[in-house]
Amino acid sequence: MTNLQIEMLIAAIIFFFIITISLAKNRLSIGSSIAWFLLPIAFILIAIFPDTVNAFANWLGFQMLSNFIFLVIIGLLILICFFLTVSNSKQQDQITKLNQEVSILKAKNKKK
Amino acid sequence: MIIIPAHNEEKSIEKTINSIKKYDYVVINDGSTDQTEEILEKNNYNHINLCFNLGIGGAVQTGYRYALENDYDIAIQFDADGQHDANSIPELIKPIIDGEADFTIGSRFIKKNSTNFKSSFMRRVGIRLISGVIFLFSRKRIYDTTSGFRAANREVIEYFTEHYPKEYPEPVSDFELLKLKFRVIETPAKMHEREAGKSSIHTWKSAYYVINVLLSILIVQVRRIKK
Repeated sequence: MTNLQIEMLIAAIIFFFIITISLAKNRLSIGSSIAWFLLPIAFILIAIFPDTVNAFANWLGFQMLSNFIFLVIIGLLILICFFLTVSNSKQQDQITKLNQEVSILKAKNKKK
Repeated sequence: MIIIPAHNEEKSIEKTINSIKKYDYVVINDGSTDQTEEILEKNNYNHINLCFNLGIGGAVQTGYRYALENDYDIAIQFDADGQHDANSIPELIKPIIDGEADFTIGSRFIKKNSTNFKSSFMRRVGIRLISGVIFLFSRKRIYDTTSGFRAANREVIEYFTEHYPKEYPEPVSDFELLKLKFRVIETPAKMHEREAGKSSIHTWKSAYYVINVLLSILIVQVRRIKK
């Protein structure tokens, strides 16, 4: 095992640990944790099968494995970021609706 | 029922409400930071204070939600800044009462119109441009796409309660209704120069506004919307 592999494994384990603790303490919902599990899983795959990943990276036209790894990780981060924006938009809509309903109710209450 | 969205309109709100008092109305106070709320309270005007500022789209939608909850058949949007003329209301709602339209837009630009409203050249170009793009996609001509003086029947009230665009609500919702095959009619309406307060569309922002509206319309065009 190269140093890089060991480092990635350790990083992945720490990452798993953080996610699991957050789940256990109810700071993270199970649904939203799935996206974050992808990252350490990718790390572990790369650490365990470096040759396969390397061959795959070469086949895709990458000169170096590290470039490929960076790209994969950045891709995952962008994906997570996008879905965060999606859920944020949905929450904005929900908050707007709540504001409207509460304001109408308040006005109604005051009149009584 | 008349929906009056108000955001910092302390100077004009009283005059506006006095002009439409013979109709049922509700003022939506959209998180004003001036004396608007105090004026509404003091005069005992029917109003709703939003918990925090939602912007014009969210404020107007509150009015539609209120109209639906209170079983009104027609809802009219009316600006708080004194731009709109209460005398144009009967003409605005007539096609809806007669069952000829689901939604009417009070227009500055159609004939037999004695309006004294002058908007800037850039603004007219922008409105024409938006009107052209809406025509391109829906084959229906709306002249005053940015008019905030509009009336909706029950069906449209229901639709707006569920779906009302937050950004650039007037042109975008006009287009949405056309796409959904609602019958939209323009009626001539008199409009005044604003008496107080600032337009939400400043001159130097016109171009930016138009580009954003056109983008929003394109998005509505590709989006599948249903009633």
